[in-house]
Amino acid sequence: MEITQDNAPNNPSTTIVTCPACGLLCDNVSVEIKQSRIRVLNTACPKSIQFFEQALSDDSPKINGESTTLKQAISHAASLLKASKNPLFAGLSTDVQGFRAIYNLANKTNGNLQHINAQSMARNMAVLQSSGWQTTTLTEVKNRADVIVCIGTDIISHNTRFFERFVWLNNQKSDAMFTDSGKREVIYIGENLNTKAGISPDGRQPESVNCSKSDLPEILAVLRALIMGKNLKAQNVAGIQISDLIAVADKLRQAKYAVLAWIAKDLDFPHAALTIQSITETVTLLNQNDSNRTGRAAGLSLGGSDGDTSANNASTWLSGFSLNNDNIEHDALVWINSFNAKKLPEKTKHPLIVLGNANTKFEQTPDVFIPVTTPGLDCSGTLFRVDSAVILPLKKIRENNLPTLSEIARQIEGLL
Amino acid sequence: MITHLKNGRIYCPVMGADGVVQDIYIRNGKIIAKPASHEKISQTFDLAGKIVMAGAIDMHSHIGGGKVNIARMMLPEFQETKNYSEPEAHICTPNCSHHATPNTSDTGFRYIEMGYTAAFEPAILPINARQAHLEMADTPMIDKGGYAMLGNDDYFLRLLSSNADQKAINDYVAWTLHATQAIGIKVVNPGGISAFKFNQRRLDLDENHSHYQISPRQILKSLSRAVHDLGIAKPLHVHCNNLGAAGNFETTLNTMGASDGVPMHLTHIQFHSYGTEGDKKFSSAAAQISEALNRNKHITADVGQILFGQTVTASGDSMMQHLNAKLANPKKSVIMDIECDAGCGVVPFKYRDQNYVNALQWAIGLEIFLSVEDPWRIFLTTDHPNGAPFTSYPHLIRLLMDKSFRNDAFAKLNLDAQAMSNLTSLNREYSLYEIAIMTRAGAAKLIGLNDRGHLGAGAAADITIYTDQSDREAMFAKPDYVFKDGELVVKDGKVVKVVWGKTHTAKPAFDIGVEQGLKQYFDKYHTIQLDNFKISNDEIAEDGRGGIINHTN
Repeated sequence: MEITQDNAPNNPSTTIVTCPACGLLCDNVSVEIKQSRIRVLNTACPKSIQFFEQALSDDSPKINGESTTLKQAISHAASLLKASKNPLFAGLSTDVQGFRAIYNLANKTNGNLQHINAQSMARNMAVLQSSGWQTTTLTEVKNRADVIVCIGTDIISHNTRFFERFVWLNNQKSDAMFTDSGKREVIYIGENLNTKAGISPDGRQPESVNCSKSDLPEILAVLRALIMGKNLKAQNVAGIQISDLIAVADKLRQAKYAVLAWIAKDLDFPHAALTIQSITETVTLLNQNDSNRTGRAAGLSLGGSDGDTSANNASTWLSGFSLNNDNIEHDALVWINSFNAKKLPEKTKHPLIVLGNANTKFEQTPDVFIPVTTPGLDCSGTLFRVDSAVILPLKKIRENNLPTLSEIARQIEGLL
Repeated sequence: MITHLKNGRIYCPVMGADGVVQDIYIRNGKIIAKPASHEKISQTFDLAGKIVMAGAIDMHSHIGGGKVNIARMMLPEFQETKNYSEPEAHICTPNCSHHATPNTSDTGFRYIEMGYTAAFEPAILPINARQAHLEMADTPMIDKGGYAMLGNDDYFLRLLSSNADQKAINDYVAWTLHATQAIGIKVVNPGGISAFKFNQRRLDLDENHSHYQISPRQILKSLSRAVHDLGIAKPLHVHCNNLGAAGNFETTLNTMGASDGVPMHLTHIQFHSYGTEGDKKFSSAAAQISEALNRNKHITADVGQILFGQTVTASGDSMMQHLNAKLANPKKSVIMDIECDAGCGVVPFKYRDQNYVNALQWAIGLEIFLSVEDPWRIFLTTDHPNGAPFTSYPHLIRLLMDKSFRNDAFAKLNLDAQAMSNLTSLNREYSLYEIAIMTRAGAAKLIGLNDRGHLGAGAAADITIYTDQSDREAMFAKPDYVFKDGELVVKDGKVVKVVWGKTHTAKPAFDIGVEQGLKQYFDKYHTIQLDNFKISNDEIAEDGRGGIINHTN
């Protein structure tokens, strides 16, 4: 439901909305709308609350920090882009429609594109492009997974409601078709992980293989070797008893549907792509044709936000290429942060144009700042979920005078 | 404003015009009868000596959606501009600027440059339909549409295994057409994609799904009946069980009988026409399949011809693609289980003319083309990109129309494969009229596009004009003119105007009560709201660029 005349400003109305604050895109968030104030009613997810309850501050465009008209701001942005030989469009925190418009503007200006999550996305892309993978999606996890391994991540730091929505289910309202959700086994591999969410409703503790982040590559290589059926002479690896890893390997082999989950952003060490590849190859080995096998396995890449999955998919169909992570030479920076005011551009010596969240407080005053709508709050839109399989519409739920990113991009393009 | 196309030789099977010289008039995007003498003609094209056909329609081409985009994402090396070497060089036309994974604008441009004015994405996962439509919305020049995949989704399998009545199935199928903005229904490896999630590795037509205890035959019977009862034109689009497996022709033959005479379309049938004879236990069963197609008038098929070179196979058939992954070239693949809805498998593939199996696959496809008698029931496809990129159609048309060209190509194949094929004994050469049936009139009739695929008054003015050349590959690669909805969009094989095309759908009536059960199911087992599953007309028409045409009577 979009805002209509019926919900007059002073009468609060409630509606169900889709939350773009993380890759899960929970589309069952109930919000109360009173004038332009929004209150989240049915979840305590801090990311969701922070997103929906953000205030709408000064919406005027600025040139060098001074308020100006939209027309002048657009005109100045266009002149900076005209003077640029190779601008970089970075941040790219927007939805499919916004990305499309920026993609066209970048084409017109000989510009390059780089998402705020480029580094972590590149780890996954490196694996996809070198070996591929065997993966699953959230509804499959909810209905099938009987063993879930969280590798180098507690998941909830990024995807707050993962366990609530897809693992431990209230059997009345929400249930799994093919497994007893309360009996799932959760295994963590990593250090300093918040494993509380992995405790089952009847109080069963999750298993934990405690190891430092830097030891993950070695431990996952050993796990893969065990699944491959190799005999290891060592008794322990990186301080972990091999017998503990054999126990994990056995659980994976015995599972009806084992899910090996990772979050690329949490695997922030050199050559992390190789560790992700160890995970995906373990899945591939578990799925090999073998008449003794009684189950399946699948990988699951989680995390995701700021429209990263959307931008990467749209870039791929529009250009043929996924977004890359090169250090890109540029002589002007266009920063896009529609979703989150706190995502700021790096300091730059080049002209800086920001098309973004109206609440953004800058460390470096941009040459031009044009506040734009936040999809899912100030305008409708479309986003990809972190598993890439599900694409959801976003609603406009707040009255505002902001232009959309697409409108601004098109108007700038018109002046070039 | 009236456009006059005069003196062209018309090939329009709907009108029965087999090369007759006849004028065509266009007004407001439509073909009209000869206007009165006082009406002003705004522009005239003298087409003396030229060949005029309706715009071609690709009834099966993977142009958008999750697996296509995974293929692009996984294969950046395919995006490089390459100097083609043999045998790729003679497959890809001079217009072929890309490979098997064109981006959306390349897709639209390359299609229209060959005189194709519509293409249909045959494997839209309902849960992923929004992505397919987003990509098709960014595909310029051509009309588009798609077939929604059912038969491996747990909602349907639960209905069928609990002996739901046919009406409940029909309502669900109709609801799916509406929700996904599709024009047809497809089933891929009936039951097999779901069975793979339960660790079954193969599923034959009469073998039971281990969890639901129902067979592919039951799934086919139920879905083909639903599609038929709903009265939509497009028969159930069937990707049979056992794709690519030696000996699978028996499954294919038996599948023809699974619908009790209700129409079905068996897609990329070349991949399902393999026997087990010979030393290598892999042989052509094209004769048996063609004979059965000739006999079973309720069955239509498209071929899914393979052509040599690098491509990528992108399929909903996760079960069989998992088996094929060991043949990946380059060595990488993606296999996905998706949303209790379906799955996908993306495996890059290089067909080589000196490889026994690949060479025989090439011959099997052509044997089927040449042995199926009724061109209204067999369609020209490469299952783009699975058998070859769609840009190889002009080459394929020449193989069908030019026996000596075909036999010369055959003579270069792996010798063992040559010994196992009767291709050179098939003397048939397709006529222009038959090509017009296969690629225009027949495709439009099959899908139910009443105002496309022909040149009669009232038809949309999607028109392609070629110079008659004995080299049919050169002729079909580069039309002189292409009109899209009455506008001149291609001249001398190059795009002169960008247009965006419409989305064709079918929306039969159904009992909205079906949503009660669906809502309970979504709330309990799914991870999105039922309302968000449905794609609105406004989403497709966004920016005023796209639009929907509903073909339900």
